[in-house]
Amino acid sequence: MPKFLFIFRHSTAPQSRPSPEEMQVLAGQWYAWMQKFSASILPGGDGLKPSGRLLKGGIVSDGPYVEAKEFVASFTLIQADNYDAAVAIARECPGDNVIEIRELGGYA
Amino acid sequence: MKEPRALVEHFFRHEFGRLVAVLTRSLGVRRLDLVEDVVQTALVQALETWSRRGIPEDPGGWLYRTARNLAIDAWRREQTHAKALPHLAEEAERETPPPEAHFADEIGDEPLRLLFVSCHEAVPAESRVAFALRTLCGFSTAEIARGLLTTEVNVQKRIERARDRLRDLDVDFEAPAAPQLRARLDGVLSVIYLLFSQGCHATHADVPIRRDLCDEARRLARMLAGHPVGDVPAVHALLALMCFHAARFDARLTLDGGIVLFEQQDRSTWKWSDVREGMAWLARSAAGDELTRYHVEAGIAWEHCRAPTFADTDWHRIAEGYDALDRIAPSPIHALNRAVAEAYLHGPQAGLDRLAAVVPENVPARYPGWHAVKGELHFRLGQHSAAERAWQEALRWTSASTDQEFLRRRLADCRRVESLDSPVSLDP
Repeated sequence: MPKFLFIFRHSTAPQSRPSPEEMQVLAGQWYAWMQKFSASILPGGDGLKPSGRLLKGGIVSDGPYVEAKEFVASFTLIQADNYDAAVAIARECPGDNVIEIRELGGYA
Repeated sequence: MKEPRALVEHFFRHEFGRLVAVLTRSLGVRRLDLVEDVVQTALVQALETWSRRGIPEDPGGWLYRTARNLAIDAWRREQTHAKALPHLAEEAERETPPPEAHFADEIGDEPLRLLFVSCHEAVPAESRVAFALRTLCGFSTAEIARGLLTTEVNVQKRIERARDRLRDLDVDFEAPAAPQLRARLDGVLSVIYLLFSQGCHATHADVPIRRDLCDEARRLARMLAGHPVGDVPAVHALLALMCFHAARFDARLTLDGGIVLFEQQDRSTWKWSDVREGMAWLARSAAGDELTRYHVEAGIAWEHCRAPTFADTDWHRIAEGYDALDRIAPSPIHALNRAVAEAYLHGPQAGLDRLAAVVPENVPARYPGWHAVKGELHFRLGQHSAAERAWQEALRWTSASTDQEFLRRRLADCRRVESLDSPVSLDP
């Protein structure tokens, strides 16, 4: 079955951050999402720490990247029959997400 | 994939408060902005990571480690800048030692310490409440604004004022020492009391945060009672008072959020576990010879809970309670409540006489409850046009939608009775 990488992006605008109470609601919705699609979610997904390094033209710079409007916050691996099925799973993700959906090249 | 784990209620909000308090102890009250930012980032990271991998076995520990590491990173970044910029370096000399040294001791009573710090005499009272809701309870500005019935801008201003004052004073988190703590206990209690009364004053079914305010007030008070400084009769009395009121929350509302008067409340919907807890606190509050306003108010609330039926309510005791309360903490609201008790004892006219005896400059003309009670007493005397005038006035000063609906319902009753011109029962 084809595998897809879901890349979750967030806005860097501070006002887009949910309040703790809103996070509680989101966590509950994610819990339901994970249960619903447990057969499709592959191990290996993770969240990313907020800062990192950028290597460009031999020069290393530190994150956070202030000029960026969005940053990659997390990723997950999904197996699905095709793009339509993968997008259908992404659509049910709770909250206001920007999700990049990419099929893995090397599936057998 | 493993079966995902669920989180306890209010996990994110309560962890926010706990972590802010713990990190503030390490980084100092002056770095509160940085601390809140770090904790918020840790929560976002938790939500992102747990939504991909499931919730870890010890979510609280996970968050603490994540926030601590973020704080250390932020602190190091500041140190780097400090070396580069001489004037910042100067400031850095006054800083606390590296956070690692402090993180050795585990989470203790930091939230309580922060509560005492925020009740510093220099912080305006209204700022204390907003600050506590933000910093200790983890509510957002918008949520606090809804809870306190004010604007977000207002809340933001109040919080900033508290932060500015604390920063200017360079308040030490380790202090205040025990004698100061006792002196500041009054301020802490009034913040908790205000938090609770804001929560139960107007009942908005559409604004769930209001019940949360009451729950938070009780949580902070229980925390206080669990500490030697706060394990005193006044705190026990405040807890008793809050429990007796909380017991009647569900009975005060209809299923669609309308208001139910005390007379008509279904006593079977009272939460008896709260009543029992309140009784236990009330018993403990009787130790010592101190009589605070919380003792008196707990006694009044207990009288409301105690009677098996409405008719059994001991209005003499309640009237005495309001008299005592007015002596300890004079307020026209106590006079108003005393007038209600008087009306139940000696009829509506006696209640109105009491209201009329309040000197004009003390009449809380913008307080809708004043006019609502006046309307009710006139109505019971069959003075419908006077009742209508009073209720119209009450409506003018009411902003809560459920309260408005209640008053409109009463106004409609008024007009219906007027048109029928039927004899009205005058019983109190």
